[in-house]
Amino acid sequence: MNQATQAIPIKPRDYKSELKPVWCPGCGDFAVLNAITKALAFMELPREDVALISGIGCSSRISAYTSLYGFHGVHGRALALAAGLKAARQDLTVLVAGGDGDGLSIGGNHFIHACRRNMDMTYIIMDNEVYGMTKGQASPTTAPDWADSKLTPHGTGIRPFQPAGLALTAGASFIARGFTGDPNGLAKILVAAIQHKGFSFIQALSPCPTFRPEQMQWKHHVREFDSETTSNPIEAAQRIQADDGMSMGIIFQNEYPVFRPGTGVDAGMGSIESEFTV
Amino acid sequence: MSLAEKISNLQTFLAYSVALEEEAAERHDDLADMMDVHNNPEVAETFRKLAHYSRLHAQEIRDHSKGHKLPVIAPWDFGWENMEGPETADISDMNYLMSNRQALKIAMGNEQRAHDFYFQISKESPDPAVCALAEEFSEEEKEHLGLLEKWLEQYPESEEELAFDPDPAHMPE
Repeated sequence: MNQATQAIPIKPRDYKSELKPVWCPGCGDFAVLNAITKALAFMELPREDVALISGIGCSSRISAYTSLYGFHGVHGRALALAAGLKAARQDLTVLVAGGDGDGLSIGGNHFIHACRRNMDMTYIIMDNEVYGMTKGQASPTTAPDWADSKLTPHGTGIRPFQPAGLALTAGASFIARGFTGDPNGLAKILVAAIQHKGFSFIQALSPCPTFRPEQMQWKHHVREFDSETTSNPIEAAQRIQADDGMSMGIIFQNEYPVFRPGTGVDAGMGSIESEFTV
Repeated sequence: MSLAEKISNLQTFLAYSVALEEEAAERHDDLADMMDVHNNPEVAETFRKLAHYSRLHAQEIRDHSKGHKLPVIAPWDFGWENMEGPETADISDMNYLMSNRQALKIAMGNEQRAHDFYFQISKESPDPAVCALAEEFSEEEKEHLGLLEKWLEQYPESEEELAFDPDPAHMPE
C-alpha cells in the first residue's frame, strides 16, 4: 500500500476486515479484537506497518478478522513465524495471538525461548483454560479438578501453568494480564505493550461461553492489581504467586537487551562449510 | 473523581456522548454479525436496526458539536463505571439461541443505563450548559426506552427462554 494514497485509519473499525468472526456469541475473543483495533487506532499505526501472526485454535482465527497483514500459521508456531518476520522486517510492529493450548502446550517451547530472546513483539494469549475448537478438552491452564471433558472425567490432576509466572521465569521483559470484559483496559495494556521495547506478553482472560460457561462469572471476580508495575523480578514473582489469577494490569516491566539479528551475511559459505568438515 | 466532575465542560460532555453512541453502534454491529454467522437472522436484523439508531443518535450529537473542538480522549480514560460505555451491550450476555425478545430486553437495559448516565450528569455537572444538554439527552433515552417497550410487545413472553437446539455445540467428545 502506498501511504500517499492510503489515509491513516483513525477509527478502530478501519482495522477490521470484512470477514465476520465465527466465534460463539459471548466469546471473549471478540473483545480482544476490539481491544487491538482500539489500541492501533489510538496509536494511529498505518495498517501496512503492522502484522498479526497467529497459530491454530478458535482465538487464532483473529488474524483473518483484521485488515492488517496476517498469517494464520501452524499450531503452536505463531511465535516462530513472528520471530522470522521480525528478523527480516524489523520496521514492522509485530503482534502475535493465540490460545492457551496453542501457546503454552503445543507452542510452549517457543514461548519460553521467545521470552528470553526478547525480540520486539507483542504476544497475546487469549486464555480460556480449554481447547475450544476441538470441543472442550483440558489445556495447560485448566484447573486440575475440571471434569467436564470425557477425556479427563476426573480432572487432569495436574497443576496448571501460571502464564505470567512462566513468562517471568523465562525472562520476559513485559508481563501483563487483562480481561476481555474490559476491552478498553485491555487496549490500554496493549498500547503499553506495543510501545515497550522487547518481548511483551499479555495474558488476556477470555471466557469460553460454550465449554466453560462458568467463566462468564469472571466479570464479578476480576480486579486491578493493588500495586504499581514493578521492574523488580523478585517482587513480580511474589505478586504473581500471591495472586489468584484475577488481578489485572501490567505486572512487570524492565529494560532488557532486545535481540535484533543482523540482516546481512557475516560469513561466506566456505567458512560455514568448513565448520562441518570432519 | 466522579464522572460528573470529570465532565466539567460542554466539549468534554459532547466527546463522552459521541463515544457512548459510537461504541454502542459498533457493539450492535458486532452482535448482528454474531447472529448472522450463527444462523439467527431475525435477531441479527434487530441488532442491525439498533446499530442504525445508535448511529443516528451519534450523528445528532455530532451536529450539536458543530463549532466545538472536542477533546480527544483515549478509550480507557473515559472511566465508565462498568468498564464500557453505559449503552454498550455486554458481549457475555449473548447466546446464539437468543430471541428477539431477549435481544430487546438487553437493548432496554442499555438504554436505561444511558438514561441514568445522562440523568446523573444533568444533576451533578458543575457546568449549567452541560446539565441542560444532559437533561435533554436523558429525556431522549427515556423516549428510546418507551419505543423499545412497544417493540417488545410484538414478541410473546414465551420467548424469554432460549430456543431448543437438538445439536448443541457443547457435546464434549
